[in-house]
Amino acid sequence: MTMDAVFQIIVGGLTLGSTYALAAIGLSLTYGTMGMFNMAHGVLMTIGAYSAYVAASILGLPLFVGFAFALLVGMVTGGLLHLLVVRYMLDTPRFEINVIVVTAGVAILLEDLILKQFGAYPFRQPVQLAGSLRIGEVTVTAQNLVTFAVAFVLISATAWVLLRTRFGRAIRATAMDREAAMLMGVNADRTFLHVLLIAGGLAAAAGVLISAQTTLSPAMGTNPLLRAFVICVFAGLGSVGGAGIAAILLGLFEVAIQYTLGVQYGFPFMLGLVVVVIIFRPAGLFGHTVVERK
Amino acid sequence: MNTLGKHFAIAALLVLSLAVLPALITERYLLGEVVVFMIWAVVAMHWNVLTGYAGVFSLGQMLFFACGAYAMAMLSHYYDVSPWVGMPIGGAVAAAVAFFIGLACLRLSTAYVALLTLAVAYMVYTLIITESGCISNEGGRCQRLFGGTTGFSRIEDFGFRPLLRGNWILGNYYVVLGAFAISISAALVIIHGRLGLAFRALDDSTAYAAARGLNRVRYRLIAFVVTAFFTGFIGAVQAIHFRSAGPSLFDFSTLLFVLSMVIVGGLRTTWGPVLGAALMMMLLEVGKSVGDIRNTLIGLSLVLVVVLMPGGLMGLIETLFGRLWTRSRKEG
Repeated sequence: MTMDAVFQIIVGGLTLGSTYALAAIGLSLTYGTMGMFNMAHGVLMTIGAYSAYVAASILGLPLFVGFAFALLVGMVTGGLLHLLVVRYMLDTPRFEINVIVVTAGVAILLEDLILKQFGAYPFRQPVQLAGSLRIGEVTVTAQNLVTFAVAFVLISATAWVLLRTRFGRAIRATAMDREAAMLMGVNADRTFLHVLLIAGGLAAAAGVLISAQTTLSPAMGTNPLLRAFVICVFAGLGSVGGAGIAAILLGLFEVAIQYTLGVQYGFPFMLGLVVVVIIFRPAGLFGHTVVERK
Repeated sequence: MNTLGKHFAIAALLVLSLAVLPALITERYLLGEVVVFMIWAVVAMHWNVLTGYAGVFSLGQMLFFACGAYAMAMLSHYYDVSPWVGMPIGGAVAAAVAFFIGLACLRLSTAYVALLTLAVAYMVYTLIITESGCISNEGGRCQRLFGGTTGFSRIEDFGFRPLLRGNWILGNYYVVLGAFAISISAALVIIHGRLGLAFRALDDSTAYAAARGLNRVRYRLIAFVVTAFFTGFIGAVQAIHFRSAGPSLFDFSTLLFVLSMVIVGGLRTTWGPVLGAALMMMLLEVGKSVGDIRNTLIGLSLVLVVVLMPGGLMGLIETLFGRLWTRSRKEG
């Protein structure tokens, strides 16, 4: 393998990894705070991608506004998911199973509505940049750079919110121990709403970036959702920072496999690696087994 | 009569009424629908054994179903194996696949299991539809080892066509009824037998049950493998009845369709999934007359039932009748 091939893999891997990171940290945050495994996270990505398409292609808004619109629609959908459905299920027995079932139901419902509205025919995502840059034999498209930059900015913003604001402290406290946080005056219900707002926005942004690399289709959320799941398991469910690092690592790993063995083996090998990791470290690479006395 | 006996009596009644049903309905379409109902009812019932009773939330049930169907189809296509031999082999293949998946993930908690089983099913699906090499070229048609995107068709059926001519579906009907009877009996034995007792103990208090010598992972693995066997077995039956097996078995909407049967009928109730299978099939049949709203209906029923009626229909019935029952018992 030449040096150029290695650089090409790194460019591709970082682009792929940063979109995965964007998709995975929202999922990890939701699980870590609420114990909620959100099967509708993929359809939130689809909704984001289609919102950007509607804003840019149909309403003719500038690309930047299209992206912001997608983010907003994702946040609103995430918020509605909490207000209309999840809120009524908290503290019910078998919450963990029921919430998977409910969000899967929401996912198939929304996906069907998108299909009815836009049809199954795949569109090109208009919210992306053209042009590319060549460094030696390595091609770096403008979209590669934008993807990486957008993911970096949004992930840093999320980290800042979680680590530096009161609001983020409430989220982290609730994730650590919900009852104790509530005793300290944290409104857990509102915190959960905030978490789903953030997760919805991140998912929508990921959706726009993913659809720019492939195409828009109603089922486009399934594949990145599963990858985000696998990344979260690899990192340890609920470990937000770990999910970001794991996403980049697995993105590089996947592109390397795709480049050397063939495109269809990317995901199987990634899954195989993850299974091996959790056999030896059941709580994931960055997770801790929590021992709780009741 | 003990609980198991009582449920066997209900099962006998159910199988008996299904057995006389062809005397009342002669339309082939309706008989075909009842066949499909019996197949899904078995998948739903065993999914409930696994999730409702053993507490393993697997999203890989359609993978096991497909294992049975594909094993049957491939044995028939490549080796001309008779369907009667293929059915149990289909179950065994599914059980073997479940054993290895189970070893890798059953020590983990609920969400991890759900996700890994789903991811493995998706991976198998991707590998099947992206398979590129041909193992043979019959008349310029590339035959892929796992059938590629088209799958296998024209599998050898039970052989009732020459025997019963126009009424061949009756032959299939009674074979599927037989498979249904065997599979639901097995589910009843698990739920109300010693295994079920172990599951209940582990569910009530994992630590106490473990202290009394129950190995949680081992019992979960047993449940996983046994239910996968029957899911694969009925998958093989389905492949023979429809004479085909293809990657559409992995559709997410099919998975959620069967899940909705379990949830609507009532998770952790013995007969809920069977009731749910009947109800969901009727609901989608009614929906067909309105338009293509299948997935919308599946999604809506999942959301509404979990939020408004978490015990499902059977759970609701049990709470309603449970109150009357305890009252009459106290008086009597």
